[in-house]
Amino acid sequence: MRTGRSFRPVEGSPRLFISRHGDRRELWTEAVGDLPPVYGERWVEAGNRRLRQFEPGRSKLAAAVTRGWTGDLPAPGEQWLYLGAASGTTASHVADLVGPLGRVYAIERSVRPFARLLALAERWPNLRPILADARVPRDYAMLVPPVDGLYADVAQPDQLAIVLANAELLLRGDGARLLVALKTPSMGRGRSAGAHRDASEATLADSITLAPSVSLDPFHRGHYMVGGRWGRSSKLPSRPASRPTPPRGRRRGR
Amino acid sequence: MRPTLVVGNGPSLFLLGPDDRPVSGPYPVDSDPRRAAARFEAFRPEDVPSPLLAAVEAEGADHPLVASPARIARALAVRLNRPVGEPDTEDLRRARTALSPPEASDERRFFLALGRVRLEEAMRSPEEVLITLAREEERVERSVGREARAAESFVRVPGSPLDRHLDTWARARSALGDLEEALRHTLESQARLVVPNLSALVGSRTAARLVAAAGGVRPLARMPSARLQLLGSRRRPSPERGPRFGVLYRADRLAEVPIGRRGAYARSLAALAAIAVRADATTHRDVSAALVARRDRRVDQLRREGR
Repeated sequence: MRTGRSFRPVEGSPRLFISRHGDRRELWTEAVGDLPPVYGERWVEAGNRRLRQFEPGRSKLAAAVTRGWTGDLPAPGEQWLYLGAASGTTASHVADLVGPLGRVYAIERSVRPFARLLALAERWPNLRPILADARVPRDYAMLVPPVDGLYADVAQPDQLAIVLANAELLLRGDGARLLVALKTPSMGRGRSAGAHRDASEATLADSITLAPSVSLDPFHRGHYMVGGRWGRSSKLPSRPASRPTPPRGRRRGR
Repeated sequence: MRPTLVVGNGPSLFLLGPDDRPVSGPYPVDSDPRRAAARFEAFRPEDVPSPLLAAVEAEGADHPLVASPARIARALAVRLNRPVGEPDTEDLRRARTALSPPEASDERRFFLALGRVRLEEAMRSPEEVLITLAREEERVERSVGREARAAESFVRVPGSPLDRHLDTWARARSALGDLEEALRHTLESQARLVVPNLSALVGSRTAARLVAAAGGVRPLARMPSARLQLLGSRRRPSPERGPRFGVLYRADRLAEVPIGRRGAYARSLAALAAIAVRADATTHRDVSAALVARRDRRVDQLRREGR
């Protein structure tokens, strides 16, 4: 397929590509599986790579990268645990990012989305789907090896507790990575989205060295990407220094 | 005192001694990944591999024995006739770091098989059958309506080559109608089985659609009646004139209520439906007679009020 675009890998993430077309920037991941598209996304061939479009409107991870996420991303060869994989839209891209030598262990508890996730895993060789409830990590603790990273997208009011229980039991140890798509609309209406984010970050800061969070507006209303590295490292700057306060209007307004 | 630990990482089981000896195993559950997944999932006492049993017995009974997942602990307890507990987080972590992962292609085949086994198991539950039937029936009902409307506006010209198409089409429509009827029949008996009280109150097809829209009986039972009333409605609730019903629009006896009073009826019916589904989800008692009586009183009252 001929395209007028040129693709270059994102620094530090060799399987994630950016294309520029005029002033349009688009994200792509290098496919691990084969056509047909997983959820109707575009595929292109660039050199000897097959790339799949990674749309911020469809995936919170793509939205986070678009909004300037500076924390770690899944890297080739790593093993990741994915909580709340649903039918595998974002999970397939995380699987792309860790590449054929990496693994994604995808937890989903709803039957119908899981049926689609399982069908996807049949043709996505590094994806390992598990039908289980992420609230009970003991149930699948022995199926999942110690993982390098945890990605969570669970629409539950207690999503932070779920993330922490999984991280404590299943992450390989200090330095392992966390990416949490914080869904403030599922966390109760008592507080504003920003207040939910601040409270969540305060909770996570006890066990995680946080990267600067980003708002996923306008792609996903009321959502934030928070995360960082497991363990409180004294070498890395502590939280107030690591997260310069952004101008208020940009976070709230849209 | 640290316990002796038996863990299953899927295709195989392993034994970890109470000290820092190397892990003993793997003890394969079954050589075939698909059968291994089915046995891992059910894990009956006879699924404990005999070499593992021998190894556990060789450990003696000085140290407590724990096993994970829980169903393996239960199976071991039966086979050994001694208490088998569940590991604490510390022991689980020790086991996780000590085990080497299964070979990649075995692991993959096992996961796909386990996913299939669990999916089939989950889809076997009467509740999931009901949800699936409700969605199928709704889809087929829509196509029946669409085809019927298209047939009505089709201009028939005698002797035209389109005549043959019309005949085939008519047969297809009647087959589709039969399918819908059969599906509705199955759906209604399934609904009476899963949510008897709700079915008696609002009609079995509406009851099934409510369960499907909520995603299950329990989520529906946890819903406030105001949400149940609007479940499945397309419009958003708003301070002005919001929707008055969603799925409930097709409830039994709603059509008998004067148009201007249907919103009021929907509120009362939703309140009764919330009670009915809570009985279906928790006590499983038959409360339908009382609820139906209250519903009928309300219908009569609204009909007297008129308009």
